[in-house]
Amino acid sequence: MIKKILIANRGEIVNRIIRTCEKFGIEAVAVYSDADKDMEYIKNAAESYNIGSAAPIKSYLNIGAITEAIAKSGAEAVHPGYGFLSESAEFAAVVEGMGVKWIGPGSQVMKSIESKSYCRIAADAVGVPVTPGTVGIVSNVDDIYRIAHKVGLPVLLKLDKGGGGKGIEKIESLESREAVQDVFDRLKRIGAMAFASSDVYLEKQIASPKHIEVQFVADARGDVICLGERECSIQRRYQKIVEESPSAAVNEEDRLKLYDYTKRIVKAIAYTGVGTIEFLKGESGYFFMEINARLQVEHPVSEMVTGLDLVEWQIRIADGENLSFTQEDVRLGGHAIECRVYAEEPVTFTPSPGVITKLVFPEENDGALRIEHALHTGYVVTPFYDPMLCKLIALHNNREACIGVMKAALEDMKIEGVSTNIDVGLAVMEDKRFISGGFSTDFFAG
Amino acid sequence: MAYTLKAHMPGLVARVVVEPGQNVEKDQELAVINCMKTEMRCLSGEAGRVDKILVAEWDEVDIGSDMIILEN
Repeated sequence: MIKKILIANRGEIVNRIIRTCEKFGIEAVAVYSDADKDMEYIKNAAESYNIGSAAPIKSYLNIGAITEAIAKSGAEAVHPGYGFLSESAEFAAVVEGMGVKWIGPGSQVMKSIESKSYCRIAADAVGVPVTPGTVGIVSNVDDIYRIAHKVGLPVLLKLDKGGGGKGIEKIESLESREAVQDVFDRLKRIGAMAFASSDVYLEKQIASPKHIEVQFVADARGDVICLGERECSIQRRYQKIVEESPSAAVNEEDRLKLYDYTKRIVKAIAYTGVGTIEFLKGESGYFFMEINARLQVEHPVSEMVTGLDLVEWQIRIADGENLSFTQEDVRLGGHAIECRVYAEEPVTFTPSPGVITKLVFPEENDGALRIEHALHTGYVVTPFYDPMLCKLIALHNNREACIGVMKAALEDMKIEGVSTNIDVGLAVMEDKRFISGGFSTDFFAG
Repeated sequence: MAYTLKAHMPGLVARVVVEPGQNVEKDQELAVINCMKTEMRCLSGEAGRVDKILVAEWDEVDIGSDMIILEN
């Protein structure tokens, strides 16, 4: 097995990856920006390297600085975590070029799937439904009018290389050609500036959809195993707050259909490693949305119900191993829910940087609760990175009992010094729509 | 007289949207701060002409940091 892994990320995911490294006697190398020099995992890692100042572009997005740390440390592999450079084909190619293993799909596969229209074309070609619209790129406003008339309003214009909820514009009316042209131009400008691509495609907006995603792991032989679905419909501004597995809205027949769709797409694009396919569930069924070529924030709910360690499988596949179990071996047991705790004002969702003056975690008793974090009393929540502070993951025999575990955990959790959304999580657990399972991504809109 | 735009949130300067010599109105957006990946607009408290720009893209700012000076 790989002996030394550099973790090119920050925060809770570093501790998560170190845990699996320790289990297998792998040395973990941490990197940190000036703003993160007091992170406790720097002590837990075998080695650590400062990679620059606080601004992500100067540190966690700085390929040159991270490459230097890889070379100095002699790491045999790089785990990119999520966010930052985790889906950068350019960074993956640089790592591979150094003769270092990239823990994720190969850079060639990543380069292809950076284009959402490539993925839509690939899904469409293997018979997986994609949201009505264009599978390719829209070249002008005439295209927008023609397709919008065909599929019906509202439609979404999306940047081909957009991500993280950025680069999406809704068109609800075709009355003013100038207004549509303005939206189209603005989106192209944002794309050129932020994503180095002004390509735009169009899709029909699915009314009140559910966000359902399938976790999979694939090896170089072409075997693909699905590890249940996750429901991630509770979002604010396209960012997830609560995730669970299984979904209350997916029956066994749907699950098998989603597994079939997932396997067809994964094989078609020759993806290896751990990944996720996101689908939208509308009134007329499931539609392919996108591929996430990384470990996801919400991966623990899948680990809880399958009993698998997804980071372990990421490492094994990157090391050239094949899957040692089959689809039939995967047993989904119980129900898991994750709540993300953010440093933000609970009503307005505006960020809340500051210093954590008091920190009380609930008990992680008898495996019913898992807490993922990198916090300590006196921790400085800086304005430079994502507002996520920690994740609580509850497991129980059934959904109702699991909600009970999560409620108790959120009630016992105390963070002072910064505002948090703990009460928002509690309100979700007590909301009739959530309890019934019949909610959509409109949860916070209505 | 002079007016100094100060940062209302800590973060990174995402962009400055005015240029030296430009005339601006009260409540006009002069710059944008990125705090925890959320963009916060910095609006001018007064009308005036842009005299000095003290920050550049990716600079770190704290609450109260001087950003832009207007002459009025």
